[in-house]
Amino acid sequence: MTLLEIKHLNIEFHDHLIPETVVFDLNLQMEEGEIVGIVGESGSGKTMTALAVAGLLPRHGMKKTGEILFDSRNLLFCDRKVLRTYQGREIAMVFQEPMTSLNPVKKIGWQVEESLKIHTDLSEEERYSRVVQVLQDVELKNPEEIYHKYPHELSGGMRQRVMIAAAIVCNPRLLIADEITTALDVTIQDQIIKLLLKINKATKMGILFISHDLSLIRRICNRVAVMKDGYLVEEGLTDQIYQNPIQEYTKRLIAAVPKCEKISLEEEEV
Amino acid sequence: MGKLTARLEEWKKKPFLLRIGLIMTGISIFFIFVGIFVTPYDPEAMDASSKLAGISFKHIMGCDNFGRDVFSRVLKGSATTLFIATGTIGIGITGGILIGAFAGYFGGVLDELLMRINDAALAFPSVLLALVLISLFGTGKYQIILSMGIAFIPSFARIVRGEFIRYREMDYVQQAKLIGAGSFRIMFVHILPNTFRVLVSSILIGFNNAVLAEAGLSFLGIGVQPPDASLGRMLSEAQAYLFSRPGYALCVGGTLIFIILGFSFSGEGIGRKV
Repeated sequence: MTLLEIKHLNIEFHDHLIPETVVFDLNLQMEEGEIVGIVGESGSGKTMTALAVAGLLPRHGMKKTGEILFDSRNLLFCDRKVLRTYQGREIAMVFQEPMTSLNPVKKIGWQVEESLKIHTDLSEEERYSRVVQVLQDVELKNPEEIYHKYPHELSGGMRQRVMIAAAIVCNPRLLIADEITTALDVTIQDQIIKLLLKINKATKMGILFISHDLSLIRRICNRVAVMKDGYLVEEGLTDQIYQNPIQEYTKRLIAAVPKCEKISLEEEEV
Repeated sequence: MGKLTARLEEWKKKPFLLRIGLIMTGISIFFIFVGIFVTPYDPEAMDASSKLAGISFKHIMGCDNFGRDVFSRVLKGSATTLFIATGTIGIGITGGILIGAFAGYFGGVLDELLMRINDAALAFPSVLLALVLISLFGTGKYQIILSMGIAFIPSFARIVRGEFIRYREMDYVQQAKLIGAGSFRIMFVHILPNTFRVLVSSILIGFNNAVLAEAGLSFLGIGVQPPDASLGRMLSEAQAYLFSRPGYALCVGGTLIFIILGFSFSGEGIGRKV
């Protein structure tokens, strides 16, 4: 079943004298429980696409056309009230920077619980046990202890786990992961990727995985979309794209992944 | 015992200004609090035999022109002043948070509109604005609180707006938006607690201004009405005897300076600490 369908999405900023288009005519489809990757260099419109799906684009100073269909409802133009019933409950998002994504003056438990408070009418004890459960699901040790901690007491990797916990606490059907591993070191990256795969397997949650790291995309995604300068360059099954890239840009992108070899200076000059 | 030394260490780590300010504020609040329940003499009782008496063991700040004990009246007057200042700041900060939060969070036309009105109000000195409002509401303790409170709203609104604009774009606010929190929830549950640091220091500075403004208004005779004592009123009474008995004015003025310095040192210290 189709979970998300993006049709002819155009995003244009009008807050300067010259309008600037950041996404051109994007088409993308996602099945239920599928992991789709969007890959591209900085400024290619990956994050803008993600924000559009999450309904976080600013309301003023920009022109949006096209459709983002979720449950056959166009999220791009629906009422803020309707949008809010989806946000957090059906669609959740995790940001890139775990250090600033948590409110410094609120306890971890409170922040994870927030989504439940807004979308469900569970009692306080039910919410508490659900939060502890979720913190355990994201493989944090001593969830009861972490519940009462403040963000500054946790490391970057732990915070990113908390962010994932806060995102999946309502069992959304779509999780948007916007470069969630970029700010983390490699070993933590690996753990987070495994965690996402585990969650995907356990709950059939669709994941829109945005990254500029091709090797990560290859490990986690079923399908991948390559973006450049706001255009969708190529889209298809991950293995296919990696083995037989059709577009020149994709080929160069794959070739640009550094290999584990010592680079000598002479070689670089050639 | 270990806990006490730890506390002492923590206390020593605080900025010098903050420590001085807290001690001074503590002393003034202690005296004012005690003064509510017990004063050495009845602040209203007149004693013809000790008119304009000097400083002595009997009357540690002397007596005024009706023979009332100045120390007792300073205690009572400071309590009135503090009460009015607290009420003023209460109204000012509530109004300021409401206006500043809406203007800062929503931005756009609403922000322009609210802030231009705010700027116009800010263009008047707040004492002058309070004067206009007092002529509207009349004189008396509660009328002064109301008028000064309204006059203090603009300066708080501006500070709160600045903070909200700063926090509006933070990742965790976006995150709150993302899980479907409503605008009011984001404004008052997610953003507001973050602004407390700045708010506390501006409240303390605003408190000073309120104490001064009240004293100024009472000095002009449009503030607190007799028989209520207030520091400003006492200063204006003492003015007539400035040369014959300067101790009267000095004691009252000194108390006022002590209270204000205490608050402004604390405010400065808190602002500097973080």
